Amino acid sequence: MNVELRHGMKPDLTADEAARGRFVSGLRSLILNDLAGDLKAAYDRRAAPAWERAHGKPPQTSSEAHKALRGDPAFNIYSAMRVQAQKMVWASVADSVEREAGRLASAAAAAAGKVKLNPALAVPKNVGAIDVHLMPGSYTRGGETVEAGAVYDRGLAVFSMGLMGANLDDIGLSMSRYISLKYPDFQPRRILDTGATIGHNTLPWKQTYPAADVIAIDAAPGGLVYGAARAAMQGQDVEFVQMCADRLDFPDASFDLVWSSMFLHELSKKQRAAALAEAYRVLRPGGLMLHMELPPNAEMSAFDGFYLDWDSWYNEEPYYKGYRDEKPPELCAAAGFAPADYVQFVVPSIGIYGEQAIADMIATEAAEAVGQATTGRLAEGVMWFGFGAFKK
Amino acid sequence: MSDTPRPDDTPPGLYDDAGNARFFADPAMDRFVAVVMNMAQELWVQEERLLALEEARGGETVDRDARLKAFIDRMFAPIRGA
Repeated sequence: MNVELRHGMKPDLTADEAARGRFVSGLRSLILNDLAGDLKAAYDRRAAPAWERAHGKPPQTSSEAHKALRGDPAFNIYSAMRVQAQKMVWASVADSVEREAGRLASAAAAAAGKVKLNPALAVPKNVGAIDVHLMPGSYTRGGETVEAGAVYDRGLAVFSMGLMGANLDDIGLSMSRYISLKYPDFQPRRILDTGATIGHNTLPWKQTYPAADVIAIDAAPGGLVYGAARAAMQGQDVEFVQMCADRLDFPDASFDLVWSSMFLHELSKKQRAAALAEAYRVLRPGGLMLHMELPPNAEMSAFDGFYLDWDSWYNEEPYYKGYRDEKPPELCAAAGFAPADYVQFVVPSIGIYGEQAIADMIATEAAEAVGQATTGRLAEGVMWFGFGAFKK
Repeated sequence: MSDTPRPDDTPPGLYDDAGNARFFADPAMDRFVAVVMNMAQELWVQEERLLALEEARGGETVDRDARLKAFIDRMFAPIRGA
């Protein structure tokens, strides 16, 4: 249920700190599996029929499902507990990060990871001025120290309930494995990860394509400092650079793969469009832009769409719903990619289902369908949604 | 938090004056939920301390994840099936 990180920056927890983290992971499992099931049952039994009686038809959209559920006891309990559990995630790691600040700083300096900060960069509001997913101080907590990275890494270990792997890299592992199997002739020489935070989903690409030069960028400095050390301690030669994805300081046609994971939904509509256009610009012909993200509302039922959109209202993810209301093929086309070169798939978590499941999905072409209750939903049986396009 | 942008179709009454999400008619209930969860967490910390003592005295090693699941299921049983 709880996960112990397996790298040199992992925490040296007291017994009480370990117990608090374990409890939060267990509580989140109750909320995201059991109470989520209660929420769906209440929606089917009470909320949706009541909406239909009032409006002549069941909820048609995520927003209507939200309005139908507001005030329902199951919704109130699920939501109030999920908000508090999210706050407990970050609280459960704050003590250990503060206590180990000196050790972490020394370890990071000794690791001598590759990192280039840009003090002149104006960190966007969506990165530093909003407590994204209720994380106090957001990504800029502690400035250029390793604090933000340590809080994020340790917090994500509690948050993920073991569903993101021992080093929180299941998304990157699953996606890179899918791409390498699906497109065996695609051999990127330069890879760019945008919005990489601590690079936990960057490293799998270096492992999959060890000859490639891999660069991870983010607007926030602390995560990069921490991530560079974390990567170096794992023997991974990845460069971390402070840069915004919507204003890349790279020449045209300089990468073969531009990747991101759980990033686009944290950008405003304007930033998102600019980031995709920048990805198109820096890709070489034959290159691939690939984003692991939440599935779009257009491919989900009203309830399942709202289940994911919940974060937009209650988890300080203000751009979440706006992103999910957009259509990925249209985003790619607007960035310059030809509609015929669009790709989209759902890949099983490699940690849960195993590598063979990915190969089987490719063989049967079953990887295209969005599963209503599994795709993008961090709970038992999670699968990851990916989309992008080749630049021809 | 109050400066956080919200989706365009956000229904009214979702947040208090400080921008905190509200779910219950009585705002005090939202705070009590947090208190109950914090209390359960601290009770589990004590439970783990006892387990460690019992193990140190020669008792069998306990699967903490399994014990925790049973603890949480028992503690929060009254809210299931709401």
